[in-house]
Amino acid sequence: MADADEDVIPQGGASAEETDLSDETQDFRFLATISREDAAVPKRGEKDFEPHATALQSNTLAASRQAMHNALSFQRVHPPKGHNIATYHPETNTSYVYDPKGPHFARMGHVKSARDDPLGNDEFRGQRMWLLPEEVLYLLERGSLDVRWPADDGEDGAMGLTMSLQGAYAMFIGDEEAHAGALTFERYSVFASLKRMGFTVLRAPSWSNPDLPPTRECFARPTTSRYPPWHIGLIDYYRPWLVVLSPSEPRPDREETAKGPLVRSRLYRSYDEIYRRLALIPFHDPAKQSGPIHYDADLDSDSDSEYDPNQSLCITYHVWKPGSQTYKKSAPGPPDFRIAVVNARETTVPTLEQLSHLMDTVPFDPPVESAQLYQKLRHGYKNVILAIVDQGVVSYLRVAEAAFGREKLYERRGKGPAGKRGGRGGRGRGR
Amino acid sequence: MPVATNRQPENVSVPTPSPSTKRPPRPKRKGKNFAQTHSKPLPLETHPLPAFHPSNPISLLRLAYTYLSHLLLAPSSHPIRPYSGYFSTETRSVHVTDPEHARALWEMGFFGKGTLSRSEPSWVERERARLMKDRGGGRKAAEDATKVRREERRMFKLERARVEAERIGRQRLVEEGKLDANDVLDDDEKDSSIEAAETVIEPTQSDALATDHRSPNEALNGIFVDEKTIVNDRTLDESLLQNHDSRTQLLEPKTDATPNTATETAPPSQDDTDLCIQDQEHLQLTLEEAFFLSYGLGVLNIYPSSPPETYFPWSIPEPYTNIELFEFFSQYSHFPPSPTPAVDPDDPFLLNYVAYHHFRSLGWVVRPGVKFGIDYLLYNRGPVFSHAEFAVLILPAYTERYWNTPGGRSRRRVWEQKDWWWLHCVNRVQSQVKKTLVVCYVDVPSPFDVDFDEPFDVGSILRRYKVREFVVRRWLANRMRD
Repeated sequence: MADADEDVIPQGGASAEETDLSDETQDFRFLATISREDAAVPKRGEKDFEPHATALQSNTLAASRQAMHNALSFQRVHPPKGHNIATYHPETNTSYVYDPKGPHFARMGHVKSARDDPLGNDEFRGQRMWLLPEEVLYLLERGSLDVRWPADDGEDGAMGLTMSLQGAYAMFIGDEEAHAGALTFERYSVFASLKRMGFTVLRAPSWSNPDLPPTRECFARPTTSRYPPWHIGLIDYYRPWLVVLSPSEPRPDREETAKGPLVRSRLYRSYDEIYRRLALIPFHDPAKQSGPIHYDADLDSDSDSEYDPNQSLCITYHVWKPGSQTYKKSAPGPPDFRIAVVNARETTVPTLEQLSHLMDTVPFDPPVESAQLYQKLRHGYKNVILAIVDQGVVSYLRVAEAAFGREKLYERRGKGPAGKRGGRGGRGRGR
Repeated sequence: MPVATNRQPENVSVPTPSPSTKRPPRPKRKGKNFAQTHSKPLPLETHPLPAFHPSNPISLLRLAYTYLSHLLLAPSSHPIRPYSGYFSTETRSVHVTDPEHARALWEMGFFGKGTLSRSEPSWVERERARLMKDRGGGRKAAEDATKVRREERRMFKLERARVEAERIGRQRLVEEGKLDANDVLDDDEKDSSIEAAETVIEPTQSDALATDHRSPNEALNGIFVDEKTIVNDRTLDESLLQNHDSRTQLLEPKTDATPNTATETAPPSQDDTDLCIQDQEHLQLTLEEAFFLSYGLGVLNIYPSSPPETYFPWSIPEPYTNIELFEFFSQYSHFPPSPTPAVDPDDPFLLNYVAYHHFRSLGWVVRPGVKFGIDYLLYNRGPVFSHAEFAVLILPAYTERYWNTPGGRSRRRVWEQKDWWWLHCVNRVQSQVKKTLVVCYVDVPSPFDVDFDEPFDVGSILRRYKVREFVVRRWLANRMRD
């Protein structure tokens, strides 16, 4: 038993590990051992779970198991003080609760104004907190809320029947479309998973209306110059001298771009001059964008319905970190993250039009000017988080508008990473 | 990744335009000075003016002299003789067969790949090292370093597994009452010695040859000799011994750590002259690299076929013009090559070239990234200096009105968008190799209104494309709570 691990290590020749890792042609001799009767699956690395048949191991395992059982067997009670009873409101497919108790309602639910409250402006309006479908479902699932069907007419003050979890799902998600709501199972999955992690999650303005016009903060303010005023003066003053010292033609003429080469044979003082001549391909500059981009495809989208499905992406949730200092229920302020929920099975990787449209609706958030190059590129000028939901499993991707063209790497040459080798430690993971 | 390969200075005789830029002879030292070898980011020369220091008035004279001499006789940025490559229709790539040209293109800008090597054309060096090994000399190529490192890692793992198994065996014996618990204490000491071995080995991972190989060697050795008697699996023992031997052989010439043996390994350059190895390797440029060198920089002449054995000045064929190359490369980016001269705007070559040119013109070193399932890798300065940080994935974007008409839609080369699973696959691989995924949309223009039988304007075609990059990373909700 002790040597069982070593038995399976292929003897002589190339080891299984090497054959797998190397770029060279594979030697399949290592497969020959597998066809033998006593062969075992090749073992790699350390395995925590392998039984050693030692009392030490089994004792450790038993102790750990016992600890888990102890934790789970702790008796959980619903104290009568924290018992909240909500009532389902069929017309709006939401629920309301009077004077709710518990920490959840600090970041959930809302009291409606006299004009908006469906039950009218009675004396209880101030205590009546309305809960959105996803909030009801979430609270019901974790046992913090007891939802009742509306009581029959006539029996005044009597409670309705308790709504089951199945009933709640059927009403708040299944019946949502009938109420012109926009809660889908995907959206609820994202809401619940973020909520469980402690985030504050609110519906974004584009929740049910993906075509909201972008606001002014979505675009960069037009700037006059990237240099401070005194700097311009200095450059202007020295410009004649600079021209004398380095006679440069920044742009290749038409003849050169037509036939090439862009860099013709002559005297260059620096590689920057050469790189400036090479600049040819236009790129999208988010810092110079002053309004939403309208693609031609948008204009005649009615030409063929099959190519324009309901794929337009929109921000679904605004999310604040659990310890957010800026969040206030009355005035939430700017969120920490903006999340767009996407159904993995019904949508594809977005086209440029879709992504561009989505990016037009998020605020301009440029990187810190003094940050390191890689950080700046990774941070991007605008960013959004896509929550891709496949049947309840959520995968988050942060998509940021990078604008490599704004960071001229050649201008940083010399202050880039030093000529040390190996970069980030551990070679051999591919460069 | 090219590591610490000593190279002969005579290989460096790149066609330099002027004698003033000739490099001083490189000092003899272990390992390449990459900053010096790859000091030029492009295969072009620049002639900066010497700096003027107010504290040193003579530097003004130098400045004036250099400036005036450049006025009288302007030195050129380009090599006197352009590098030559041959368009191979079979492999759909451009071959650079002259070793000097290949060396120059690799050193200045990291263009191309050695056909018999992983990236840097190092076959001759490896071959020389292999032959020299018998004579007790030789040097390491990058591939050798990898081999040594892998072998070491493997040994370490075997050792770790063995010690672990032994520890469990002892524990079992103690529990059965056959062994005193005090012995287990000894065992723990050995564990810590293994830990020590691990910490010593780890640095060699990051830098296989530059660090001292003796110490991990000894550390491993010590344990090895200690425990050998306990190992009861004979075959394993043998295999360990074999591997150990081969490893020490590999490590033999690497002795600069111990002063007494350093003198014994004489500089092997004398021996090198005996070995006359014919270079069987050539540099292979992708179509995008070749077009960039020809159209962008104008340092590469591309000829239709491989060079004749002996040729006379009057029999040298004319190189392709950039306009011809544009058409050929577009046609050959399909398989089988498209028979018509017309160039589709969403040809794979054009999409790739637009992205390639964009990143190259910003100063990145762009290399193919098929190993990681993406289109290009972006290096800062070059692969010998640091790992690539960004991995570029090219997606065509058909935003023009033409592509959304029924006729345009049927002419699209890429029919449908990829699904999310595919994107997650790609992204997972990148995070595994610590790279950042960059999704680069190339906005495809409507078909060119160009007569491809006549000379046309390449620049105006390329200017009609537009790139837009998005950085995609996994967002871990749990880590964002702080």
